Amino acid sequence: MSNQASQKSSFPRWVWFALVFAAIAVIPMLVGGSAYWKSILISIVLNIMLAMSLNLILGYTGQLHLGHSGFFGVGAYATTLLIQKAGFNFWIAMVASSMMAGVIGILLAFFATRLKGHYLAIASMAFAVILHQILLNWDSMTSGPLGIYGIAPPPAMTIFGKLIKFNDQVNLFYLVSIFAVLVYIFLDNILRSPIGETLRAVREDEVSAASLGINTKLWKIFSFGVGAAIAGLAGSFYPSFVGTLVPDSFAVVESFTYLAMVIVGGMGTMIGPVIGAIVLTLLPEVLRDIGDARLLVYGITLTLVILFMPGGIVQGFKSLISKKTSTTSSSN
Amino acid sequence: MVDIASLIIQQSINGIVMGCLYVMVALGLTLIYGVMNQINFAHADFVTLGAFASYFFVKWMGGGYLISILVAFLAGGVLGYIINLTIFAPLRDRGDELRPLIATIGASILLENGSLLFFGPVPYQYDTPYADAIRIGKIFFTEQSLLVVLVASAAIAALYAFMKFTFTGKALRAISQDRETAGLMGINQAFLIMLTIVIASAMAGMAGAMLGPILVLTPFAGASVVVKAFAIVIIGGFGNMEGTIIAGLLVGLIEAFTTQYLGSGVIDLVVFGLLLVMLLVRPTGLIAEKKEENV
Repeated sequence: MSNQASQKSSFPRWVWFALVFAAIAVIPMLVGGSAYWKSILISIVLNIMLAMSLNLILGYTGQLHLGHSGFFGVGAYATTLLIQKAGFNFWIAMVASSMMAGVIGILLAFFATRLKGHYLAIASMAFAVILHQILLNWDSMTSGPLGIYGIAPPPAMTIFGKLIKFNDQVNLFYLVSIFAVLVYIFLDNILRSPIGETLRAVREDEVSAASLGINTKLWKIFSFGVGAAIAGLAGSFYPSFVGTLVPDSFAVVESFTYLAMVIVGGMGTMIGPVIGAIVLTLLPEVLRDIGDARLLVYGITLTLVILFMPGGIVQGFKSLISKKTSTTSSSN
Repeated sequence: MVDIASLIIQQSINGIVMGCLYVMVALGLTLIYGVMNQINFAHADFVTLGAFASYFFVKWMGGGYLISILVAFLAGGVLGYIINLTIFAPLRDRGDELRPLIATIGASILLENGSLLFFGPVPYQYDTPYADAIRIGKIFFTEQSLLVVLVASAAIAALYAFMKFTFTGKALRAISQDRETAGLMGINQAFLIMLTIVIASAMAGMAGAMLGPILVLTPFAGASVVVKAFAIVIIGGFGNMEGTIIAGLLVGLIEAFTTQYLGSGVIDLVVFGLLLVMLLVRPTGLIAEKKEENV
C-alpha cells in the first residue's frame, strides 16, 4: 500500500499544495463575471468534500454506504436552524452541525458493525430516505417541502485589515476551497498513518483483521463518524451558497451522485474522488447546450466508465502511463 | 361511531391490492439478488417502462387494457434482456459487488433521462376500463383492484410454482445456493441468469401496467414503488421468495393503515423505520435462511 506515497514522490508535497493553491486562486478569474459559473465552482468544491468523505467510508473502509446525502442534509439544516432559531453565530453553528452529523454517522455505524454488503447498502439508503422524510414532514422546524428562503452567507471577516464579504461568490469559493484543502490534508494524513493501514485491513479482510487484534467495529464507527462530520461540514456551507434550503436537495438519489463521483474518479485513492467530483459536476453543465439530452449523455458516460474503466479515471490514467513508459516496470 | 370493523376490512383490502403489486416488483429484485448477489437499481425503470408500454398500447394503438398488461410484460422482459446483455453479463464474475450496483444506477439515470427526452416531464394519464366500484355491504373496491389481485396472484403463483417445481426453477435455486457447484453440475449459468433477469423485469413491467392508471405517470414514476420494494426485500430476507411475499403484503397493509391513521405523508417514515428496526432485531429477514459464511 505504499504506492500512494511513492506515487507522488517525484515532486515534494509542498509543490503540489502550492500548485493547488495557485489553481484555486486563479480559477475564479477564468470564469469572469458569470455568477452562474461561480456557483458551479462552489458546488464542485462542496462535491469534492462530499466525495472525499464518502471515499473514506466506502473506498478505504469498504463499507457500502448509500446514505451520504443524509449527512449532507443534517449539516445544511442544522446550521441554518441553529442560526435562525437559536441565534448561533455561523462558525459555531458550522462546528456544532458538523459534530451533529458526525454523531448521527456514529449511530448509523451501529448498523455497519452488524450488517454487511448489500444489507448495509439498503440500511444506509433507508437512513437517507428517513432523513429526507423528516425534513419533508417536520413543518414547524423545516417548513416542509416549501423550504427555507433567504439564508444569509457567512458573516464578513476582516483579514489583514481588509473586509471580506461572503455574499461575493468568489470569496465564498476561496473559503470553501480552504476548508476542502484542509479536509484533504487531514484525510491524507490519516490514511498514510497506521490508522489508514488499519482501515484498509478492515476493508480487505475483516476476519483476518480481527484476528490480528484490530477492533474492526471501532474503526468502522470511526470511519462513519469522520466521514459524516466532513459531509456535515460541506452541508453547512450549502445553504449560505444557494440561499434556499429544500428537502429534495437531500433526497436519496443525491447519494448515488456522490457514489458515482467516487467510483468514476477512482475509489480508494485520495485524488480519485476529487477528479470524479470535478468531472461529474462539470459534465452536465458542459452538456447544457444539448438541452434535455444532457442527462442521457451523463447516464451513458457513467455506465461506460464503470464498464470499461474498472478502477475509475485515476486507474485508467495510471495504466495508460505505465503502458507508455514501461516495459520493465511491475504494475501496481 | 363509524363501523370500525368495516373500516379495518376496507383498509385491509386497499393494503392487499398495493401489497400484491409490491410483491410483483420485490420478487424480481429478490430473484436477481438470489442468482447474482446483485441489487438492481434499474428495477424502477422496468416498472415505469411497463406503465408507459401499457399507456401507449391503449392510447395510441387502441388496444384493450387487459392485453396492454401482456404488452407491458413483454416490454419489461425485452428491457431486462438488454440490461443483462449490456451491464450484468459483462460485469459478472469479476468478484466485485460494487461496480454492477453502480452500473445499474448509471443505467437507471440513462433510462430515466432517455424517457424524459421522449415522453417529457408532463404526467400522462389514462383510465382503466375497470373503474366501476363493487359494493359489498359497507365495503367498496374497484374492479381494477379485483383485477390487480387476480392477475398478481396468478403471476406470483406461476412464478412460485416455476421456481419450486420445474427443472429450470431447481437449477436457478441451485445457482443461488452455490454458483460454482451448480456450474460443475452442468447448469448453464449465463442462460439461467439471463432468464431470471428477463422474468424479473417482465414481472415488474406487468406491475407497472397495473399501476399505470393509479400512478402519476412520469419517467420517474417507478422509483417510489421500487424504494419500497427494497424495503420489502430486506424485511422478507434477501433471496427468499416466501419472506418477500409476506413482507410485500405486510408493507401494503402498513401503508394502508398509516394512510388511514397517520396521514399519507409519513408512509415512508413508517416503512423505513420498520426496516431499520428489522435490520437491528432480525437482520436475516422474516424467514431466516441458513447460509454458512466462508472465512
